Amino acid sequence: MKYTLLAVSSITYAMKAKKLLNSMGIFCEVSKTPKNLASGCGYSVRIRDNPDYVTGILQKNGIAVKDRTTVEM
Amino acid sequence: MKVSYFDNAATTYPKPPSVVRATAEAPVKYGGNPGRSGHAYSYNAAAMVYDARCIAAGMFKSSPENTVFTSNCTHSLNLAIKGIVRPGDRLVISSMEHNSVARPAYALSKAGAIVDVATVGKTDEETLENFHSLINPGTRCVVCTAASNVTGRVMPIREIAEMCQSMGVCFIVDGAQACGIIPVTLDDGMNFICTAGHKGLYGVTGTGLLISDGKYVPKTIIEGGTGATSAELEQTGFMPERLESGTLNTVGIASLKAGIDYVQNYGMDDIFNHEQSLCEIFIDGLKTIDNVTVYRKGNRFVPIVSFNVEGIPSSAVSEALSERGFALRGGLHCAPLAHRTLGTLPEGTVRFSPSVFNSGTDVRRLLSEVKKIAKDGL
Repeated sequence: MKYTLLAVSSITYAMKAKKLLNSMGIFCEVSKTPKNLASGCGYSVRIRDNPDYVTGILQKNGIAVKDRTTVEM
Repeated sequence: MKVSYFDNAATTYPKPPSVVRATAEAPVKYGGNPGRSGHAYSYNAAAMVYDARCIAAGMFKSSPENTVFTSNCTHSLNLAIKGIVRPGDRLVISSMEHNSVARPAYALSKAGAIVDVATVGKTDEETLENFHSLINPGTRCVVCTAASNVTGRVMPIREIAEMCQSMGVCFIVDGAQACGIIPVTLDDGMNFICTAGHKGLYGVTGTGLLISDGKYVPKTIIEGGTGATSAELEQTGFMPERLESGTLNTVGIASLKAGIDYVQNYGMDDIFNHEQSLCEIFIDGLKTIDNVTVYRKGNRFVPIVSFNVEGIPSSAVSEALSERGFALRGGLHCAPLAHRTLGTLPEGTVRFSPSVFNSGTDVRRLLSEVKKIAKDGL
């Protein structure tokens, strides 16, 4: 199983992203951004599928994706 | 002794049961530090804070990221005014401002800004003319209260906003006495709305809001941990974290969320109509007392009434009323500028400010005591 972390600016933007994606039926969780992904102690949204599509949705809605990584579990 | 509380312009009391409940439950339900850690307690608190942000943003027609939680309206005003005005800039304030505006303006004048005071006239037209005559190309910012904390007079903020927009001037509104009672939203055209959370929004003390349209990003007057961009010494650049350094008042925010819910469920029009009807009972009663002056110039008011009993200082009248079971505030109400405009320096006035929890019976009992004081003295 794998998931993708999309790093956003702050907890506010992470919560905004979660609310937006959930309202569109896209499951996601808010998660702490790992140190190796973006500088500082930021937050990410964790998604399962379609990272390009989800990144596009977020950016269209004013939520900048700072970085992203896909993790295999 | 039962005390009838008529000092809601200072802070509303009692708080609605739903607010009391939310405040009591918050330390248990939202014990983590929101936006700081990666565990469930922190996420849970952050989710509540974000919900509260969305609810507040909805009320003021802003966005969640431009909705900043503060400690009170004074805090919000300081963040906005000192964040926008630079040395050498011109700042225009009205002559009815509270010290929450007048003192930051004075501090800025000592730091090199030029502060002009627009006199609030007998009519809105006169007031607008006075603002217009002071706004010029060097003006960076205008600050005006939405409603006076001394007389309740509603200011023509839409028209001032229009004037500011046409001249490219930042407009900051002090909504402390208006928010939750009359509609004040960014649709009125201002750039910032500053308000208390513990007055018309029925949250607990220690809560406030700074609402922005996002056009101006204030420079900071407080820097620190924001839970974002932590590796950099430079303060976080984006809102709302930029202006929210340090741990948030989660308990207060939970109370404010419940308070705004309460206002929206009750209906702002119904709140205004109830409180306004109490003011009308009070004013009609005061008018029948010979040696009482009511300060009521203007055409629109939020539910606040200022009065004086001839020959007795306002502080002595409010103390006498307190002994008889009525909580009102005498003196200057932290607004000497407004009292100078009204001609009520140095003694000030006695201020009556009801809430949804007062009744006509309470007001009639209060009137009877004011009548006795006016007739027989203290």
